[in-house]
Amino acid sequence: MIINGVFIDDTYAEAFGMKATRIVITADSLTWARHAANAAFGFATSVIACGCEAAIECELSPTDTPDGRPGVAGLLFAVSTKELAKQLERRVGQCVLTCPTTAVFAGCEGEEPLPLGKNLRYFGDGWQMSKLIGGRRYWRIPVMDGEFLAEESTGLLRSVGGGNFLILARSRAQALAACEAAAAAIAQVPGAIAPFPGGVVRSGSKIGSKYKTLPASTNDAFCPTLRGVARSELGADVEAVLEIVIDAVSDADMRVAMKAGLDAVCAIGAAGGIVRLSAGNYGGKLGQFHYRLREILA
Amino acid sequence: MSAMTLTLRAAPAGRIDMSGVLPETLGGRTAGDIAAQTVRLDGNPVALGDLFAVTPGEAGAALLIRAGSGRLDCLGKGMTAGTLRVEGPAGHYAGQGLRGGELLIEGDAGDCAANGMQGGLLRIAGNAGDWLGAALIGDRAGMGGGVVAVAGDAGDRLGDRMRRGLILVRGKAGAACGARLLAGTLVVAGGCAGAPGPGLRRGSLILGRAPATMPATYNDAGVADLSWLGLLRRHAEAILPGVVPDSPRARRHMGDLACGGKGEILVPA
Repeated sequence: MIINGVFIDDTYAEAFGMKATRIVITADSLTWARHAANAAFGFATSVIACGCEAAIECELSPTDTPDGRPGVAGLLFAVSTKELAKQLERRVGQCVLTCPTTAVFAGCEGEEPLPLGKNLRYFGDGWQMSKLIGGRRYWRIPVMDGEFLAEESTGLLRSVGGGNFLILARSRAQALAACEAAAAAIAQVPGAIAPFPGGVVRSGSKIGSKYKTLPASTNDAFCPTLRGVARSELGADVEAVLEIVIDAVSDADMRVAMKAGLDAVCAIGAAGGIVRLSAGNYGGKLGQFHYRLREILA
Repeated sequence: MSAMTLTLRAAPAGRIDMSGVLPETLGGRTAGDIAAQTVRLDGNPVALGDLFAVTPGEAGAALLIRAGSGRLDCLGKGMTAGTLRVEGPAGHYAGQGLRGGELLIEGDAGDCAANGMQGGLLRIAGNAGDWLGAALIGDRAGMGGGVVAVAGDAGDRLGDRMRRGLILVRGKAGAACGARLLAGTLVVAGGCAGAPGPGLRRGSLILGRAPATMPATYNDAGVADLSWLGLLRRHAEAILPGVVPDSPRARRHMGDLACGGKGEILVPA
């Protein structure tokens, strides 16, 4: 398959079932909501070492938030419910509770509740107050700028993580420009995030390493500087490869996000230096979800 | 879906206990069957049909009581679902033990409305009597859940020993408003008579007007922006608009310090 001069590999992205949740952070201004969100969802690029993958999903106007203030919605993904709960509590406790004027609310209903303010309330040292409003429980925790308001729990979602595609280009600048376009397109898809910096990964990994302690190591088959010494997947016309990694709250959202990203890259096409589109997989034995590039782009 | 209708034949000679006259118990039954149901008039059994003209309705339909009376007690007692509308006033204990559904009283309600209420919505278009949402003598706690919306005034001891839930009053409340409150939220847009919140343990009493005197056992905690008031306002606007203040900014008085001091009275800043 060739689209706009870009060769589409006959391969697939291999993705995994994950546990996810959505939270809404509000503040007196969008600036402060973003400060809290950027801190809470920072260092959350990969479950390999961050514990979770997270990012801002979208900004919310005051009419779309529970307390009528500007805010952001964010998604967090982890490999288990236990790890997700741990990461959520740590990140909200250290980054949202601490941020001036913020409040945090559940952003989804799920199959089971995930503690949000339920344990953070003990920061109130006995002065915390519970409020049950419209069937939902909130905790008012006294802090130095007034009160931190946190909904007791949020929802747990069965989701998909690790959707991806690789952009092979004639130059690094052209690969990066295509990635920026893809990340911008994916950012418009509700229910999906690209958790890496700017939505882009340059250090695509393979499972395992020659060093026994490392669970993952560089994807040498796609490293242009290793052509000729490693088993390479790259032709002579490819100077750089960048990867887009996507997490989504459902299989359907993942497909929409993958298509949005791939379409954006194909629109740039060969004229923009894009040579091939490929995807990362592990032979199909590890991930429950397979996203065939040609199927998605058909 | 046609509503079931009970039309009061004449002003009652005594107090009628309307326990068991609920949309969930009468729906789908025949007129004769409903008319044969027993209620109590001054404690004596009497057929419902002797007091009311009965128009049956489908199962799940609303129940309408036409020409309500201040002598109809225990309206909506223990209701778990459906809608019960009373055209006119209601007697004492309206919505007692209400667990779900909506009880709408289009007039005044007597004393002890919402006693033991656990859920659902009680709307009173007129005034409510004393002890609204309160515990009866011997009860450990008053209202334990649900929402009460009073468009008029409320009497004395509003929410006495209330445990959970929300009471909205557009008018004024009488004496000892929020007395011995255990938890939950009381909103009285028109303010209250005398000193509010005696013995209040936890929970929130929100007054639209500052009381003439704040009890000595409350300490002024200053003015703060309380974002939960925004949540409450959004919730309350759909039930009884204009009762919760527009601004989340309020002056907080913490107390009752004689009873732990972890409750609050909020007044406009």
